[in-house]
Amino acid sequence: MVAAAFATRALAAVAAGSVVATSAAQVAGERGGPGLALIASKALIASWDGPQFLDDAVLLVKDGKIERCVARESLEMPEGYHVVDLGGAWVMPGMIDLHSHIGGRGGDINDMVYQTNEGLRVSSAVVPRNLDMLRCLSAGVTSVLFIPGSGTNMGGQGVLIKTGLSEFEETRIRDPGSMKVAQGDNPTRWGYGMGRSMMNYHIRTSVRRGLAYAKRWEQFEQRGGERPLVDPQFETFRALSKHEAQISTHTQIYQLVHSTIRILKQEFGLDVFIDHGEWGGFLAAPEAERLGVAAIVGPREIDTPEGRQYTDGQILSCAGEFQARGLSKIGFNTDAPVVPAEELPLQAAVATRYGFDASSMQAVRGLTIVPAVVAGIDARVGSLEPGKDADVVVITGDPADPRSYVQRVWSNGREVYVAKEGARTW
Amino acid sequence: MVKRLLGLTLLAALSSCFATGDKSTPDAKRFGRVSELGEGEHGLAITCGKLFTLADDDAVLAPGLIVVRGKSIDYAGPVIDVPAGYELVDAPDLWAAPGMVDLHSHVQTGGWGDINDMVLPCNPNFRTSPTIVPANASIRRACAAGVTTLFGIPGSGTNNSGFGVLYKTRCSGNYEECVLADPGGMKVAQDYNPERSVDLGASRAGMAWTLEHFNSMAIAANEQGRDELALRNLQRVHKGELPVLIHTAGSDACHTTIRMWGEVHPDTRAVLSHGCFDGYRVAPYAARVGIPVNLGPRTFDWFQSEGEWVGTPERYEAAGANLVSVNTDAPVMPQEELFLQGAMGARYGASSYLMLKACTVHPAKSFGIDDKVGSLQPGRHADVVLWRGDPLDPRSFVEKVWIEGTLQYDRAAEGQRF
Repeated sequence: MVAAAFATRALAAVAAGSVVATSAAQVAGERGGPGLALIASKALIASWDGPQFLDDAVLLVKDGKIERCVARESLEMPEGYHVVDLGGAWVMPGMIDLHSHIGGRGGDINDMVYQTNEGLRVSSAVVPRNLDMLRCLSAGVTSVLFIPGSGTNMGGQGVLIKTGLSEFEETRIRDPGSMKVAQGDNPTRWGYGMGRSMMNYHIRTSVRRGLAYAKRWEQFEQRGGERPLVDPQFETFRALSKHEAQISTHTQIYQLVHSTIRILKQEFGLDVFIDHGEWGGFLAAPEAERLGVAAIVGPREIDTPEGRQYTDGQILSCAGEFQARGLSKIGFNTDAPVVPAEELPLQAAVATRYGFDASSMQAVRGLTIVPAVVAGIDARVGSLEPGKDADVVVITGDPADPRSYVQRVWSNGREVYVAKEGARTW
Repeated sequence: MVKRLLGLTLLAALSSCFATGDKSTPDAKRFGRVSELGEGEHGLAITCGKLFTLADDDAVLAPGLIVVRGKSIDYAGPVIDVPAGYELVDAPDLWAAPGMVDLHSHVQTGGWGDINDMVLPCNPNFRTSPTIVPANASIRRACAAGVTTLFGIPGSGTNNSGFGVLYKTRCSGNYEECVLADPGGMKVAQDYNPERSVDLGASRAGMAWTLEHFNSMAIAANEQGRDELALRNLQRVHKGELPVLIHTAGSDACHTTIRMWGEVHPDTRAVLSHGCFDGYRVAPYAARVGIPVNLGPRTFDWFQSEGEWVGTPERYEAAGANLVSVNTDAPVMPQEELFLQGAMGARYGASSYLMLKACTVHPAKSFGIDDKVGSLQPGRHADVVLWRGDPLDPRSFVEKVWIEGTLQYDRAAEGQRF
């Protein structure tokens, strides 16, 4: 009951009293409560390969999950559902930021004694519903990959969490969420004269040792024998080796992005995605596409011409260039607090402004289903499809248009944000 | 608070239906039995106005009788006849309670610091026993405030600062006479103080890794049957032979503590200590996992509680947490103010009787020493405190303290020490 009481109080603080949550069991949409029907002028479904949107739609939510999304005219409203007419607003899936550092108390993301720290777990630093996460919510960002910083070549393991929920256990989507690798720039130890060759040697060495550790366990699981000793430094490689987690890579400029693809994906066969990808990183787009590596672009969405040999004087959209060179999986990130977490949709907007083709909802997909698929959590989040978590955002229009704003947000079927008209948080 | 405690007492007294002059024989299994003293044996019979046994049946007797033979309690229950030869203490105006137990204390060194060796972040090879000064001034003052058992531990300057000592607050005597168990348990610190700016452990992730690195080495040594000098006591921790007290605070670190020691290493006997700031947010999780919680010396939060003053013990109690106890972290708070931690816990909403348990039987159970201390029951050490009223009322003071049957403090004879 304490948890429920806290949730209620927290809601009141955000929504300034506009939400009345009597008890968890009775609220429409939540687990154990009656169904919830949201009537919207447009539903952005954003399924991976199915329907993308629906006009005049009804979204049915029950027990914290999405039941279905159907055209209003074809639906006979089921009995006992709490019906909410959203007026002219749209509904869309909660957005996902795969590069975020705001899951904890601020800072607390870099341990920089060693060059690789694959054993560190940032999940030990999570503070649910902290102020940054509450601002995330007001922009419709309901899930983030909270990762260690890029102070070392391997900062440690990230954790996939929901931004709107209070309880740690409920907050967690997957742990480990990813292994954070940083291939250049920030982890360079300038004082020691360490360059990219040595850094990538460190990365290779750690991955080799980690995979050898994972292999010992896999052999033990398949054939028995002596049980290997647990080593917290390499435990996460068991998940990486089984493709149950990915490597999220701070990488940019062509030669580093290319190294990311060649070393981590081609040489070691691990699931990896490109984070950032700026400053000509898009030149490696053909290799990325060939090997199925996605790019989660940001928070610098543009390349400017100064000193860059690959532009012809014009400002380029990084995402747009990845796209033009044939990459199919493109998403966006904020690297919050580098760019405020609530500006995730703005990343898509800027990309579109400079040439990213969003004519088939690519901007929306890059904020929702693409990151969900890339992180391997699309069974739970990323689209308004039956059986997924009811992470639902009510927004006044296209999320990639900065003039649209979020009015309400549900997470796991619980209403976690209501915009206060005239005094919005974001 | 006083009224609530009194009400409870009255109820318990009525329900037990014992009064002076009742000739029926009290349940010997519950209260023990009184026997004739042998040749040369010392016996003590204390009659008091009210007796808190802190037994599992929560028996409160008014009036009550405690009979001590040698170092331990033979009987604690309703007033009955005592054979000749016992030293009699008649205190109809006073309340008797077990000596209090503080699991988080650093006063063993006599105020000379000497509790942190911080060259390395993890030091399971250290013991605090070389730093003990028995019967020092802090210890004697603690005794005069009814605190009789302390877990004297190293500081929180590193993630694992080694092994502490369980000892009694005797007002005289040497190491052998005071120490209950050495090592008494391990000290771990997971938040704030042990963060290292130039070494591994700048973040919660780094600190957690450091601890897990040593845990895995000790587990490996156990699995391979090796006896490693530097890991020997940590190996015992992982066999469940020694308890662990964990300095942790804030919901992030508290959650990590519960997950690491309660879920990943369920064989360890871990106790979450402090749990301050917004640590109360993980109270439901602590309750689910069943880890004992030892709260204080900051028993409230208003930094992160969205404008509301939150009592930490109250939140843990409401969540159904296991064995809620309080601490002083002395000398952070004076060792003699352990009762005040309980009183303030009640002030912020926890129930008074729970807070009395939190100063006595709960810490004893948390560390598996409740067969010796923490309650007034047959077979337990005769650590008895006579109070002039409710132990949690700051206006009450301690009149007499016995430790293992020996009078350690007598206000009438030596003046009020606290």
